[in-house]
Amino acid sequence: MEILSALGHGFAVALQPVNLMACFFGVFIGTLVGVLPGIGPVSAMALLLPVTLSGSPEAGIIMMAGIYYGSMYGGSTTSILVNIPGEAASVVTCLDGHQMAKNGRAGPALGIAAIGSFAAGTFAIIALMLVAPMLARFAIAFGPPEYFSLMVLGLTVLAFLTHGSMAKALLMACVGVTLGLVGIDQITAAPRLTFDRLELLDGVGLIPVVMGLFGVAEILANIERSIRREVVSSRIGSLWPTAQDWAYSKWAILRGTVLGFFLGVLPGGGAVISSFASYALERKLSKRPEMFGKGAIEGVAGPEAANNSAAGGAFIPLLTLGIPPNVVMALLLGAFIIHGIQPGPLLITQNPGIFWGIVASMYIGNIMLLILNFPLIGMWVQVLKVPYKLLFPLILMFCVVGVFSSGSAVFDVFVMTVFGLLGYLMRKFGYEPAPLVLAFVLGPMVENNLRKSLILSQGDFSIFIERPISLACLLMAAAMLIVPLLPALRAKREAVALDQE
Amino acid sequence: MTSRNFFTASLAAAVVAATATMAMAQSYPTKPITMIVPWPAGGSTDVAMRAIAEAASKHLGQPIVTDNKAGASGTLGPATMAATAKPDGYTIAQMPITVMRLPLMQKVSWDAEKSFSYIVHLTGYTFGITTKADGPFKKWQDVVDFAKANPGKVTYATPGSGTSLHIGMEQIADAAGIKLTQVPFKGGAETGAAVLGGHTTLQADSTGWKPLVEAGQLRLLAIWTANRSKVWPDVPTLKELGYPFVFDSPFGIAGPKGMDPKIVQILHDAFKKAIDDPAVIATLEKYDMVPRYMNTKDYEQAVRDVIKQETAALTKLGLLKKD
Repeated sequence: MEILSALGHGFAVALQPVNLMACFFGVFIGTLVGVLPGIGPVSAMALLLPVTLSGSPEAGIIMMAGIYYGSMYGGSTTSILVNIPGEAASVVTCLDGHQMAKNGRAGPALGIAAIGSFAAGTFAIIALMLVAPMLARFAIAFGPPEYFSLMVLGLTVLAFLTHGSMAKALLMACVGVTLGLVGIDQITAAPRLTFDRLELLDGVGLIPVVMGLFGVAEILANIERSIRREVVSSRIGSLWPTAQDWAYSKWAILRGTVLGFFLGVLPGGGAVISSFASYALERKLSKRPEMFGKGAIEGVAGPEAANNSAAGGAFIPLLTLGIPPNVVMALLLGAFIIHGIQPGPLLITQNPGIFWGIVASMYIGNIMLLILNFPLIGMWVQVLKVPYKLLFPLILMFCVVGVFSSGSAVFDVFVMTVFGLLGYLMRKFGYEPAPLVLAFVLGPMVENNLRKSLILSQGDFSIFIERPISLACLLMAAAMLIVPLLPALRAKREAVALDQE
Repeated sequence: MTSRNFFTASLAAAVVAATATMAMAQSYPTKPITMIVPWPAGGSTDVAMRAIAEAASKHLGQPIVTDNKAGASGTLGPATMAATAKPDGYTIAQMPITVMRLPLMQKVSWDAEKSFSYIVHLTGYTFGITTKADGPFKKWQDVVDFAKANPGKVTYATPGSGTSLHIGMEQIADAAGIKLTQVPFKGGAETGAAVLGGHTTLQADSTGWKPLVEAGQLRLLAIWTANRSKVWPDVPTLKELGYPFVFDSPFGIAGPKGMDPKIVQILHDAFKKAIDDPAVIATLEKYDMVPRYMNTKDYEQAVRDVIKQETAALTKLGLLKKD
């Protein structure tokens, strides 16, 4: 009952005209960047962060959140119709989605993606609404030792699930941690790696780094490769899946939803990993694995449900503990801080309007998205025909304007340029930018919580195993590191990793 | 050019320049004034400064445009002004205490005494010490007694090392003859959660603790302003507890060095009237800022005093820059 009245309060916030507009604008932009290859939710959110400054924190955060879950819907459209992922979490949707489109079944593929996304999105909101306030009450028990151990667990999960070269990922993480060191040390107030430059005293900005690595680099990489765009031009046909499609999809959607949610909640998880994991799971459980890669509808339904559910789950650690589990949430954390609000255990009690407003706006946003992506799908297909020679310079211009206006510092534009070039080189040589950014954000948190714990325990390391929550996290992390070494399980893990490639 | 001609020319130039400044001072201000606020837009200092500037602009007859130049603990804005702006009264900046403190801690490009023309002192923040309401400490003396018996066991959360809260708390501990352990966090929400979760004994922070104190979850043990707060009339000040301190991280406004005293006077008068404006007082109250007016002379003296105090405190903490 308490939750219902709180939710009612949330709807009162979310239904205010300005917040309703913010929600619509957010999911609209989200779908748009989801559809457009070359710009993902991270760049779009970084770009629009300065715009939110002028309004209320509610409107700003509602809009930013809308971009994120909106892009999860839009991404599938491009994957299915063009065979290019609109954003990273839709990479696997290409595999079967585009095959379906080639077989003349683009309609049901788009339909099941939208329905799966909606079902999973709704589940994630309900779970967020029920779990977050409970967890927040419990989160007060999280002191520096618990934060430290939880982040160790999160980083272990990331390493466990990561695909591609471990050595390259670790190298990127090292670069990220080093970047995170720049600025005034939180514990001793001594400047580190600032070279007496005032601009570096607060550290390197997250927004210019992210915009460079994701926005600018993506454009540079796309200019180079001439993108073959075979937009499926035949008629899309009925969007409604057949009874046979339903039979294949319904359990895939359910499994994808649950799996995605848990991977989304874990630090280091997120939409991309969850969609890969769901695809691997569906293929393993399927009675017709030979159909995968040839147009199996469950290969579209599962991952699309998983990435939407993960997008919802990812809000939980941010809103209850103040830990961003992925790059997008790190940006959202930035948006909160710009508005003078620090997400953490006290957010829900001290700013109920913001928390419940976001939850309520997500219900509304998901319905808007269903309309945007179901009856209005034709509009997005048209967007795909905008020539890149117009699109790319525009995006680049927005990047420069966005970075400058977020801090009115020319220095930030230089930072973005440097990271844009770095990101381009990284892409060319097969280095992922995500470990770099996550290490950049989480590195200082791990360091500071370790040092704070040791201050509290007066230098005694046993503080990490004396506290039950901390001990549990460390044990789970240890288990995760040991399990892959066991021969029986090793083969299985490699099979999963292989699927992901 | 002969030396005589040169002399005449420079004299003429000086006269022209002087008349120009005089003329300028008489008609000042003829265009909008830029006020640098070295904090992100929307924060408490930003909102308060915007309200003050709005009121001051009515007296000046020209709008004051706020330019948020955040960074380097609030020093990036004033430092940029000192390095690039003309002392013509059209660029001024809010001067947080870090402008005086940071040069003592590390190498910077400015000299707090010499790089600025101080105009008027405006206000300061309300800081206080809280503890868990259901914890063992009912009043500040309880903390002192416990700390005397258990040196170093009492921990306190601050919003960062080298902040006014950290430095103030250490000075209090020193005066009380006790040893406390600082645990630096990032911002008020984190320090609140730390003390509420029992991870630290105390919290020293600005009034971010307000809702938790009002909800009866935290107990306010002492307040660091000169006088008792209207909101919490039962909470003693540091002076009442026997410590000769007021810590409120006071701030005013300044321009680049070498401003015409007449222009300084015009700005001083406008901002002095502004902090008497009822709308401004209401905004300041919302953020628990207490107006603390000082004229130009007193403000300059206060800057020198702050530098002296900070040097002493930072030396004791071992935070003084080494060179």
